[in-house]
Amino acid sequence: MATIAAVTIFVLMFVLIVMDKIKRHYVTLGCGLLTLVVVFGFCMHSIPAIMETLSLHSFIEPSFWYAAGEHEEAAAGINWATIVFIAGMMVMVEGMGKAGFFRWLCLSIAKAVKYRAVPILITFMIMSALLAMFIDSITVILFLAAVTVELAQLLKFNPVPMILAEIFCANLGGSATMCGDPPNIIIGTSLHYSFADFVTNTGLIALISMVFIVFYFYFCFRKELSKNNNTGAAGSYPQPSEAIENKRAFAVSCVIFGAAVILLVTHAQTGLTVATIGLFIAVVTLLTSGKDAIIILKKLDYETLFFFIGLFVVVGGLEQTGALTAVAEFIGKISEGNAMLMIAIVLWVSAIASAFVDNIPFAATMIPVIKTLSATQGVDLDTLAWTLSMGTDIGGSATPIGASANVVGISMAAKEGHIIGWGKYCKYAVPATIIVMVISMVCIYARYL
Amino acid sequence: MEKQLIISIGREFGSGGHVIAEALAKRFNIPLYDHNLLDHIAEEKNLNAEELKKFDEKPRNVLLSRTFKGHSSSPSDHIAMMQFDYLKKKAEKGESFVVVGRCAEMVLKEYEAMISLFVLGDKECKTKRVMEVYDISKEEARKKMERHDVYRKQYHNSYCDSKWGDSRSYDLCINSSRLGIDGTVAMLADYIRARRGENK
Repeated sequence: MATIAAVTIFVLMFVLIVMDKIKRHYVTLGCGLLTLVVVFGFCMHSIPAIMETLSLHSFIEPSFWYAAGEHEEAAAGINWATIVFIAGMMVMVEGMGKAGFFRWLCLSIAKAVKYRAVPILITFMIMSALLAMFIDSITVILFLAAVTVELAQLLKFNPVPMILAEIFCANLGGSATMCGDPPNIIIGTSLHYSFADFVTNTGLIALISMVFIVFYFYFCFRKELSKNNNTGAAGSYPQPSEAIENKRAFAVSCVIFGAAVILLVTHAQTGLTVATIGLFIAVVTLLTSGKDAIIILKKLDYETLFFFIGLFVVVGGLEQTGALTAVAEFIGKISEGNAMLMIAIVLWVSAIASAFVDNIPFAATMIPVIKTLSATQGVDLDTLAWTLSMGTDIGGSATPIGASANVVGISMAAKEGHIIGWGKYCKYAVPATIIVMVISMVCIYARYL
Repeated sequence: MEKQLIISIGREFGSGGHVIAEALAKRFNIPLYDHNLLDHIAEEKNLNAEELKKFDEKPRNVLLSRTFKGHSSSPSDHIAMMQFDYLKKKAEKGESFVVVGRCAEMVLKEYEAMISLFVLGDKECKTKRVMEVYDISKEEARKKMERHDVYRKQYHNSYCDSKWGDSRSYDLCINSSRLGIDGTVAMLADYIRARRGENK
């Protein structure tokens, strides 16, 4: 009974998210509340299950803030480490955007390549991937696409190819690190991986893929972008210095970003958890922002944070009722214990599902599944985790609705009248996604099996 | 300077709403905006109008689009917003015009010069008109009417709080089958003049 209720609520949540009629944080919070009341309350009569799912006790556990050495198994329910980390990064990114950091960076690079369209394409792709390794890809695309559209008007080129390439590279860059993409943050905090674990596993796959993808987009778009090469008047180019509104705030935001990168890269050595790093970055950003701290706090994306909280409760319901064990058993059964087949299923199902539905709930749902698969079928959990990460992160690149960064990029282009429909988007993104998926599969097979 | 006049005309497919809008634009000597809005926008932004027209007055595909913090992946949303912005810009400049569809009665409702009309018609009359205009059978005409009205309704209702064709959202709703196209135009012209205080 509890399992049926949990699955029904989960399906309802997914359908409502896809329908897009109600804001997605209301959907997950509403479904989360239903899970607590109906699944844990009426069906299971279990107060401990509610407490475990709410997971408030994790805040007072020392390992939540400082985790040297071995980790205990993550409990089901709200992954507060993910929430605190994302909130902290949001504060930092808001501060950086306000100081003009992203626009300055984009314009500096465009200036460095002398405002020529094809070199801008290549450098912006690389910058998109590099930035997305540390900052959420939505923010990266928001700023990058805005500058791309601006440069396209000046240099008289079509910004659509460049924006499509930037979106793809942002998603690819995000797959390289633990903090690059929400599914990775969830996978990393749930299974206690470090930043270095991601970089040396998914990061390596992303790096190899990036080489192929740069060539792929270069060959796709070089003719179109070469048509009108550098026709703007030199004096009319936007200067990087114009992007900086407040030099002090700009310098501070650069230092904080640098500190965040160092803390994340070294967190396995220092023992600081991502929750601690997120909180630290947020506090420092707010303290150095003065009066702007209130504005930064007001502009935070609370909807996404609430979306995560509700989502974790719903997935906690599935996990505690054993519904996800059944999914794992099903995958185990059809793959007959064959690790290669199991990996192929996890990779391609994750990719295809993420191309059409939000990859965050999908990844959150799949973590208990791969844990069970590993325990029952004997397949290495790490291998399955990297497989899930690549599948969910890259699969979302294939369609206009696969990831939030895609929606933002399409919207930024459309605001200037450059309409990107499914046909135009998929024509370039689907082959690119398949290329990366194949590279991922080959890398995973070659390295881990 | 001539007093500003904005006439918005919502219409059922086959009711002759577009022809009525053309006649009113001619009578008051003001421009008509319909699908040509996208020609103006394309010219302004140096874009291909035909590319934009593919998504004109089309409802958002719920399953194939997604929104995120005010951003949308739906081309229909973007085309609609571009048209709304263009209309607001024109209205803001004090220009007079007639606009067909495009949620204008909602988009421009804050302007005093705005007169919102909705033209409907009897099913039989609309069918007959569609058969004549498009040279198609009765069955085809019925299907075409149904299809277009569903699109218009979905399009309108996804951007407006009010419902498409709901008399409470318009200054005047009129059945063009009663007076015919010419009679309806004459009656609406009188109404518009009265609203502008020209009959006093």
